[in-house]
Amino acid sequence: MSTTVGPPAPPVSSRLPRSVDDVTGRSARAILADRQTRSAQIVRLLILLLSIVVLVRGWAVTEIDLGKLANAQNAGPILKALVTPDVVGRDVTQTELRVPFQVGLASAQPVSARTPTGQSLTVTPGAAQAGDSVELAGAGFEPEGEAQLRLDFGTGRTVLLSRIPTDTQGKFDVEIAWPGANTAPAGDYFLQLQSTAPSGPLRASDTLQNALGRIGETILLALMGTVFGVLLSVPFSFLGARNLMGGSKVGMGIYAVVRTFFTITRSIEVLILGVIMVVIVGIGSFAGVLAIVVHSIGSLGKLYSEAIESIEAGPVEAITATGANRIQTVLFGVIPQVIPEFLAVTIFWWDHNVRMSTVLGLVGGGGIGYLLIQYIQLLQYNQSATVLWMIVAVVTAMDYASAAIRSRLV
Amino acid sequence: MLVIEHLVKDYPGKVRGIDDLSLTVKDGEFVVLIGLSGSGKSTLLRCINRLIEPTSGRIVLDGIDITAANTTELRKIRRNIGMIFQQFNLVRRSSVLTNVLTGRLGYVSPWQSMLRHFGDEDYGRALINLDRVGLRERAHQRSDRLSGGQQQRVGIARALMQEPKIMLADEPVASLDPATSHSVLKYLQQINREGMTVICSLHFLSLARAYGTRVIALKGGRLMFDGLPSEIDQRRFKEIYGEDAVEVEIQ
Repeated sequence: MSTTVGPPAPPVSSRLPRSVDDVTGRSARAILADRQTRSAQIVRLLILLLSIVVLVRGWAVTEIDLGKLANAQNAGPILKALVTPDVVGRDVTQTELRVPFQVGLASAQPVSARTPTGQSLTVTPGAAQAGDSVELAGAGFEPEGEAQLRLDFGTGRTVLLSRIPTDTQGKFDVEIAWPGANTAPAGDYFLQLQSTAPSGPLRASDTLQNALGRIGETILLALMGTVFGVLLSVPFSFLGARNLMGGSKVGMGIYAVVRTFFTITRSIEVLILGVIMVVIVGIGSFAGVLAIVVHSIGSLGKLYSEAIESIEAGPVEAITATGANRIQTVLFGVIPQVIPEFLAVTIFWWDHNVRMSTVLGLVGGGGIGYLLIQYIQLLQYNQSATVLWMIVAVVTAMDYASAAIRSRLV
Repeated sequence: MLVIEHLVKDYPGKVRGIDDLSLTVKDGEFVVLIGLSGSGKSTLLRCINRLIEPTSGRIVLDGIDITAANTTELRKIRRNIGMIFQQFNLVRRSSVLTNVLTGRLGYVSPWQSMLRHFGDEDYGRALINLDRVGLRERAHQRSDRLSGGQQQRVGIARALMQEPKIMLADEPVASLDPATSHSVLKYLQQINREGMTVICSLHFLSLARAYGTRVIALKGGRLMFDGLPSEIDQRRFKEIYGEDAVEVEIQ
């Protein structure tokens, strides 16, 4: 009889059988599936079916039509405007060019003129009879502007001959048909070109300056709304904290009233509050501030109350045991514990309020939204894009800054 | 002298916390409360300063009925009863000095404390008590910078600010290592020798024997044993802690 020692048995986990039950040969999965009740399976199936029905209904009710997205004709200009916001520009000045022109001759050398600031005009030929074609070429004018071509009789009298649009580079090259003798009898005249031209160095465009002013107003609007929201919600937040108010019926009554008050003010959206405040105090930033204040009381109050409820109970108990009354206990046991959380909540909420303030202008509540809605209604997409990018930049910066400050506090 | 008569504390929906307990603690005693977790030690201590409201019974300290006191009277009574806790219960973000000064709140008018103002005498007391627990140098540090033993010493200093007649200690060393436990209990012993009554709950019988002048054992909210530490033999130990219990020594 040999007593050889075989290799050690593999660990249990690596030789799990496919069938667990020796008699029926059923798998572990099948055995565990028995543990599920039939009704739980049916309920799960019903929830799945119901979800599908709701989603299908939602698709129909909201008129989702992906075809519209593919054929959207207005999308092009808007998308183009987004990448070409109106951020820089030059001052625009009036310019005037004059060239001599003879009427009644069949042909002549081209005539041209140039201003010291770089605008030029060439008229070919330098004379014309009725019905002739005259070519006008110019450069250095305001892009996508307009030039007026006038005939100067030399007596102070002028007649408008043509309005000439400039291209995106500020140039034009057009031909006009010379009018008949009724307009201009034969003789010596001047052709006068009046237009606008950019001058001076590049500078922030008017749109950018407007947007900067309005975004500053928006941040301050949010700040004022937050400050008054904090002042009004902090006192209430202590009355809305269960750990401070519990213990007596009166306390829990006050707690319930305060929390209900918070819930009500929180449940009305800022835009709706904005509409109401505009009715009460008129269009402007003050209406926006009031809307933010009312909205903030409920939300800040709730966040502050929850911060108070999450403090350690031990120090409060210890201070109560020294014979301190309730106010002293709050001053020395509660407030030191909640200060960092309160600051974090406040900064977060200011950041949130800046975002809210950017749309308040849509209903007349002041801030940058007011500018945005004006540009959109005038179809000034490049200007709208400037405002949009401004909002993106500021909201992103606020978001980052508030997160950075909060991570240091808590 | 602390007299407890027929004290009952019922927790709604739970078992009775304290079940008809009567005992008398004479001035200057160092009473150690022992018993299993849930035997009613913490409840008893908190009924004495009414951090927990007793259901019925009377607690009388030097002739004043604590259980009958209204809010204003209770505030004055609590000044006479210091308390320290297992978790020290300091305000972590406040300085050691501020934590110590809060022990004086029972004496300061609420309007003064609105401005966080304490009188010169209170600062004097704070200095003396910080010296007593050897933490004068740490006065301006945030209290959560201190070690556990140091934090408990701040807790003792805070309680001493009350100039109490009696000191309650709820598992004061249960969160500390053995060496630190002895150092903290030595402070309590020192205070006791200067004349203050101490009632202290402890988990280790060895500590009870080393520091207590009297041991009271609770089981299920009832008095199980009341006598000298040396009287607790193996049989009594099993009565208090159950048949399966084995005594663990702490040096």
